[in-house]
Amino acid sequence: MARELWRRLLGWEGLLLVLLLAVLGFNITRVPNFLTVANQINLFQLGIEKAIVVLVMTFVIISGEIDLSVASMMGLSAATAAALFESGAPMLLAIIVALGVGAGFGLINGYFVAIVGLSSLAVTLAGYVGFRGLARLLVQDRSVGGFPEWFTRLGQQGLIGPLTLSIIIFAMLAIVATVVLHFSGFGRLTYVIGNSAQVARYSGVSVARTKLIIFTASGFISALAGVLMAARLGAVRASTAEGFELDIITVVLLGGVSIFGGVGSMAGVLLSTYLVLNLRNGLVIAGVTGNTQTGIIGLLLILSVLVPNLAGRVRERLRRRQPDPSLRGPPQEAADPARSQTAPG
Amino acid sequence: MNVKTRRWMTGVACAGLLAANMVPAVLAQTPVSGEAVTAEPGQEVKMMLLPKFLGILPFDQANQGAEEAAAELGNPTPLDFVGPTAENSVAGQIEFVTNAPAGEYDVIMLSNNSGDQIVPAAVAAQEAGIPVVTWDSPIPTGEGESLFVAQVDFDETGQVMAEMARSILGEDGGQFAILSASPDAANQNAWIAAMETALEDPAFENLELLEIVYGDDQSEKSYEQALALISKHPDMELIMAPTSVGIVAAAQALQNEGLCEEIKVSGLGVPAEMLEYTQNGCAPEFALWSFVDLGYLTYYVSYLLATGAIEGVEGERFVAGRLGEYEITKDPTRPDVDALRVLMGPFTVYNIDNVEEAAG
Amino acid sequence: MTVLLRRIRPEQFREFILLAVTIGLLLFFAAQIPNYFDPRSVNRLTTGLAITLVVAVGQVLVVLTRNIDLSVSSIVGLAAYMTGTLLTRDTTLSPFAAVLIAMAIGLTLGVVNGLIVAYGGVPAIIATLGTLALYRVILVEFSGAKTVTTADLPDWLNDVPSATIVTIAEYDLRLMVGVALVVVVLGLLILRYLPFGRRLYAIGSNPEAARNAGLPVKRDVFTAFVISGALSGLAGFMFLVRFGNITVTAAQGLELQVVAAVVVGGVAIFGGSGSMIGALLGVLLIEILQQSLLRWAGISEFVKDAILGLLILVAVTADTIILGRLREMWARVRRRDRAARQALTADEGGLAHGA
Repeated sequence: MARELWRRLLGWEGLLLVLLLAVLGFNITRVPNFLTVANQINLFQLGIEKAIVVLVMTFVIISGEIDLSVASMMGLSAATAAALFESGAPMLLAIIVALGVGAGFGLINGYFVAIVGLSSLAVTLAGYVGFRGLARLLVQDRSVGGFPEWFTRLGQQGLIGPLTLSIIIFAMLAIVATVVLHFSGFGRLTYVIGNSAQVARYSGVSVARTKLIIFTASGFISALAGVLMAARLGAVRASTAEGFELDIITVVLLGGVSIFGGVGSMAGVLLSTYLVLNLRNGLVIAGVTGNTQTGIIGLLLILSVLVPNLAGRVRERLRRRQPDPSLRGPPQEAADPARSQTAPG
Repeated sequence: MNVKTRRWMTGVACAGLLAANMVPAVLAQTPVSGEAVTAEPGQEVKMMLLPKFLGILPFDQANQGAEEAAAELGNPTPLDFVGPTAENSVAGQIEFVTNAPAGEYDVIMLSNNSGDQIVPAAVAAQEAGIPVVTWDSPIPTGEGESLFVAQVDFDETGQVMAEMARSILGEDGGQFAILSASPDAANQNAWIAAMETALEDPAFENLELLEIVYGDDQSEKSYEQALALISKHPDMELIMAPTSVGIVAAAQALQNEGLCEEIKVSGLGVPAEMLEYTQNGCAPEFALWSFVDLGYLTYYVSYLLATGAIEGVEGERFVAGRLGEYEITKDPTRPDVDALRVLMGPFTVYNIDNVEEAAG
Repeated sequence: MTVLLRRIRPEQFREFILLAVTIGLLLFFAAQIPNYFDPRSVNRLTTGLAITLVVAVGQVLVVLTRNIDLSVSSIVGLAAYMTGTLLTRDTTLSPFAAVLIAMAIGLTLGVVNGLIVAYGGVPAIIATLGTLALYRVILVEFSGAKTVTTADLPDWLNDVPSATIVTIAEYDLRLMVGVALVVVVLGLLILRYLPFGRRLYAIGSNPEAARNAGLPVKRDVFTAFVISGALSGLAGFMFLVRFGNITVTAAQGLELQVVAAVVVGGVAIFGGSGSMIGALLGVLLIEILQQSLLRWAGISEFVKDAILGLLILVAVTADTIILGRLREMWARVRRRDRAARQALTADEGGLAHGA
């Protein structure tokens, strides 16, 4: 167990931890009120919907697929809830329908990927365009607001102490996702499918079922995130959450999940989530513009894979006889024990 | 120069003398009528100028104006001109406003692109003692907004657009279409609504609005939309684009297609970008206000507000450097909500006679 | 049918299907939109295709090697902006030099991508997702929020968009479309006749095997990115010419447009199969869909994206299902043929036939 921990620290998660500590150090020294509770809550609140979707996107990518439609789904669910509420439906009903829409369209995505056998990139690209279009159709050029007070209060104010509903949901989902991914048959199957869809075909039914479940969950969780976002912002427009998909995928990849599937850990993804949240927070407070923020995160994404790769190569060259895989970079390197870690047990 | 309202006035005669960072609400002064407040230079105020997004000329000009005011007022803290990327505008703006208290800003100057979605963040900033001054584009409900520095009267924008359309199409009128920014753009929507109201006037009865399309403030998309309008409506004679990106894209499309004889472009544009199209007849007439002045005025108001020299209540008057005297009034273009406004103005209508000089 | 199946591989059928779908759409929109085949409309539509086509050709080369170049839109924007700025500073610059400069800018950025992916071992999606953001930052920093405006550009630039190579019955072949066609033909030729082009297929269908067979995998992947960059640079020049006014958001979102077209065209993003023709038909299909929806007066501005999404899904599904059926039929016919041939050879008691 201790050895396993040590391996991980030398591997991807360790790298993220070092980066995180560096960013934290920078923020604490440079940003006056960084460690205040209010700022820490803010830091989470600002990216909480993305963080929630990141959890389910991890499953999607580990299973070797991709879901580009998540942000459009967030917009669609928010728009659905808003349009229903606007036309006189009770808020609770509107929320339930919005979540149903998410699960339904997620199921449809899953159907086309798992049963029809289309590429998930193509299917969810259609969803990316189409769901946003439906959202646009529902609320058109309006900004729908005036939600019941309980709804916006849930989105904006602390429920347990300073912790908002979104943060609590995120925390719970993070635990569930970790357990499912690393300690359940479903999680194990997700890795196996992602490692090699061909090999996993030995049981076509369970492969299809797993993917169906993952995509349905992706739709549902995205819809949930969309509703939470509506509550936090107190108003809904058709453009809600536009462009989030790239941020979400970036965080998952930075967490060490291989875009080719089969590799990655929830610990890495959670670390990278917190890292990016901190980075953005520190940069915003330091008055860095949006473009530069995106650029820095882009650079980080590249360097986080490039540097260990090059370092690994140099080390390998230095002592050819005893290659130490633990410092090698992520994706592609499926031989790396710290990263090819499928579910234990 | 622009003080239109002649209602009762409550000036606040506390010209400066107040330390920075003080919450304006604490300083309930006895109103002394008449005197316009002037700013006390040299105070330390940390100010954030937050446009819709970075990278287009109008916002850059606003920043120039703000920097000019900053130099005049001798604020030792440099102005932060920050903004999100264009595609992340809404979420980015919310991020900047939410983090403003942690960044210890004293005032936020916001060109709001987030509609009412900015409200919770703006209210939180206000609660943390940071005034939120909007400029260019207000918060529709006025919630969380200290006051709005309006470039022009939004109703007047509609009127001016209708008049330009009539002047281009002639007395016998004709068909035209509107090419707007995004369907979510609050100020464009307000201007279009105002124009539709203006069109009800019998004076404009010969003008027929065909449809409204959106180019999302992207050159490429606006260009394609302009071409699509031409194909869709063979008898259309004018494209009215109340957005600086859309108007140039439409003019360029017409120029490339060699259609400037039959179809004209008008709307709101920056002279430096419109020069060529006005000279070659694609866009004979368009209008705008000075974004430099808007940035300048916004900086002055915000500085006064953050230093507590004014409280930001109806009827206060102040002097904004070279632009002269202004008054805070209720915003008549948002009658349903309780919002305040400082009106800059005026509109300048540009044509072949004055565009070159303005383009500089 | 079986005769056809004997002669043509299923992948080639896909191209026919795409072509059929495209023509079907054209006929549908022609029935809905008045003057659809009017020369002016057609000229506008074809000109609109040119830029995407050029970028797509480069993208196909990259995608065939199981990689992807998401940074194309930022390269197009940066090349357009920088070339535009240079032209405003030195209006005497010759058109030829301007094109070369734009391509050189694109090429340089492509080299960066290629180095990171091929020699740095960073998965392409990560590398180019990063450079997508980075190149845009460079553009924003470089620009200082200024706009390149047509007024400052040399006059010859204004004539390029409407410059026409040949006009047949009012249907123009515009210069920009001509350039795009040349790029397309070059792309086709490279893939078909150059060893480099053939190797791209080999690398894409099985990188491991290609490496073991001693193919210069790294160098070829690198080259593919460099070409993609250079073509994006060329597209950047065309962008500058067409739109004239370049802001820092220029070409934003083009990457998804191109990837969508390539995917619809049947190029498997992670599979390394597909053809240039298919991808180009994909570009055609998506562009026609988008442009025609814009021109379709019958529907509201707000429904268009929803319809577009649905149509993409329908196109991809129809394609895959039909292709799947054909594959089965193809395999069956082949099996039958082989069985027949084996029976035949057994009878003749001799020569073995390869399938």
